[in-house]
Amino acid sequence: MKECIAMLLAGGQGSRLYALTQKLAKPAVPFGGKYRIIDFPLSNCVNSGIDTVGILTQYQPLVLNEYIGNGQPWDLDRLHGGVHVLPPYQKASGSDWYKGTANAIYQNINFIDSYDPEYVLILSGDHIYKMDYAKMLDFHKTRQADCTIAVLEVPWADTSRFGIMTTDADGVITRFEEKPKKAESNLASMGIYIFSWKKLRAYLEQDEEDKKSANDFGKNIIPAMLDSAQRLVAYPFEGYWKDVGTIDSLWEANMDLLDPSVPLDVWDESWKIYARTPAQPPHHLSSLAHVENAMITEGCEVDGEVDFSILFSNVHVGAGAVVRDSIVMPGCVIEDGAQINYAILAENVTVKKGAIIGSRPEHMEDIEKWGVAVVGEGVTVGPGAKVGPKAMISQDVKEVL
Amino acid sequence: MVNLNAMGIVFPNMHDSVIPDLTAHRTMASVPFAGRYRLIDFVLSGMVLAGVQNVGVIVKKNYQSLMDHLGSGREWDLARKRGGLKIFPPSGYSSYEYHGRIGALKGILAYIESSKEKYVILADCDVVCDLDYAELIERHAASGADVTIAYTKEKMTPALMNNNVSLAMAPSGRVRELMINDEQTGRRNLSMGVLVMGREFLTETIRSAYSRGLVKFEQEILAKNLDTIKVYGYEYTGYRSRIADMASYFDANMQLLYRENLNRLLPEDRPIYTKVRDEAPVRYTVGCKVKNCTVADGCIIEGEVENCIIFRGVTIGKGAVVKNCVLMQNTAVAPGVRMDYVITDKDVTITEGQYLGGTRSFQVFVKKGSTV
Repeated sequence: MKECIAMLLAGGQGSRLYALTQKLAKPAVPFGGKYRIIDFPLSNCVNSGIDTVGILTQYQPLVLNEYIGNGQPWDLDRLHGGVHVLPPYQKASGSDWYKGTANAIYQNINFIDSYDPEYVLILSGDHIYKMDYAKMLDFHKTRQADCTIAVLEVPWADTSRFGIMTTDADGVITRFEEKPKKAESNLASMGIYIFSWKKLRAYLEQDEEDKKSANDFGKNIIPAMLDSAQRLVAYPFEGYWKDVGTIDSLWEANMDLLDPSVPLDVWDESWKIYARTPAQPPHHLSSLAHVENAMITEGCEVDGEVDFSILFSNVHVGAGAVVRDSIVMPGCVIEDGAQINYAILAENVTVKKGAIIGSRPEHMEDIEKWGVAVVGEGVTVGPGAKVGPKAMISQDVKEVL
Repeated sequence: MVNLNAMGIVFPNMHDSVIPDLTAHRTMASVPFAGRYRLIDFVLSGMVLAGVQNVGVIVKKNYQSLMDHLGSGREWDLARKRGGLKIFPPSGYSSYEYHGRIGALKGILAYIESSKEKYVILADCDVVCDLDYAELIERHAASGADVTIAYTKEKMTPALMNNNVSLAMAPSGRVRELMINDEQTGRRNLSMGVLVMGREFLTETIRSAYSRGLVKFEQEILAKNLDTIKVYGYEYTGYRSRIADMASYFDANMQLLYRENLNRLLPEDRPIYTKVRDEAPVRYTVGCKVKNCTVADGCIIEGEVENCIIFRGVTIGKGAVVKNCVLMQNTAVAPGVRMDYVITDKDVTITEGQYLGGTRSFQVFVKKGSTV
């Protein structure tokens, strides 16, 4: 028996990341130099003492499956428990894709029951944050809640993008609204729930009976529990948390790692973020290199300029090349004299000599047309070619003579 | 990749005495190297890449750091049900401290005898290289030799004179003369401390040698019986560094500031495995100035750094100027420090405003855990 197990929703397509999620699910998108997004909730689990995690996958699961493997990098290769990747499967009664977040859990009731847990922690695989779930579980227990939802104060202007909780003076949730036009509160749900399993199990079964239900936690399960006067409490979280569902927010969250005033510290020994990493030699900066305000990891070779940027493993930056305000994912080659500004290069992109990707806002006549340029996995940008700001490239770009 | 039909036996404590500063608390095999490795990583990774799946490590003393490094052998893919990594502490079978290779091997005779592989590779850890063990075995089998010794052609140095096995060979490659700590100058054929032989040949040799009180494999067995034992040389011409004293250790690290050398020792398609430390990427802050450095993960660099090998988890504070140094794991250099030609061992702290300086031929060494 386990007191608390975690279920991590990792089936999302991440369609607003366009070229970055053509071949992989959003939780598998590389982040922060040597991580993938899913490393954050997974490492949080382990650091919080949770040793059993079910990962619900559906969209493009290949990369994610291989990445998780037996869970060893997160210390989740356990005799009892550990990490389990849970795709939809065929049952005697038929088979279904996961119809919604709640349905994904419903279809895995047997998995959860096999550990006979008191509590179930529901997480999503598209947020960057560090959080001690053990504290949240303590809170859930002392408040004798049926469901505890982690909440974050957001600016009032942003409330229409979130699920907003209204609470009474004791932090008991009285109202929940998904993306309200006029919010009553600025406490946003972080998509992190702890349920008492018996309660959740009953509501999942009830929700499944309702053929009109979207089978979604935010839209169906939480409102149903509120309607029947269950005890839902808000767990106030302070600290860094970011939804990285869009190109801009993904870019910003990466850049936050370079800002010493932002409380997201991956160098903190007491709360390590674990990742599966290939064996690579140390990186090398030559005498020609100029590197400032950057994160660089193993296997890189830099002869050019890197400023306010993140280089993932095995990135080569040629002489005279300039990489500014950009995120360069594993295996990219940036040849001599190329320029990368405000861009995200997915894995194994080659930028040939003298090519220019992205642009700086100060160089734009029409700032509306400015934005982060994205080059998809494996794309080659030919010598001298130009990829404009805000571009979304998923096919090779020809040489420009 | 298929099983190579060879087992490996590694001797971590051989050559401990050549760099006493670095082996005060560790074996030669666990001496840190090239930013994120230990010397044994090159031996184990090379064997694993060649298809060796059964490796015994015979430790003698100071082996805590090595045990910690190796763990179950998982990082080298050697945590296996069949074979895998086995560490043999001394006195496993009898209550004496062994002497020589034969003494060490006698202690694990049962393990060698119960293994199934046809060949055995014996390996020391003092030559850092990218040796192709599969080719070595192939050559050994093709030549019909009893023993094949991997060697390199080296210019003799004073440091090497005290610690070498040199070979003189006939044109066929058969070893005619085998000399221990030979002092002849010029280019010599020096053993890499990597020897291949049939497993049964080895067990028979151990038994007969041990009963006659002979413990030194090269000196007392091979060198004296070159007429009856067919010993062949195998020349390795790839990138290597011989660690023969502190100066050669420093130089071997510094050579990896040249990207060509880095790529020859650590080619992309032949990974060298090591213990994973789960470090974040290196953080270069605003105002740092870094030229010609080889840097492992987990470091935070705020100062000026030039021509340095920087191991995992090193921090260099603002305004510090660090040149021509080898800084091992978790070295903390405070703001304003100036260092030139310094080697710091693990967990060293250099406090604010200090100046430490050596020269190209003589480096200052700061021992493990100390604060300057």
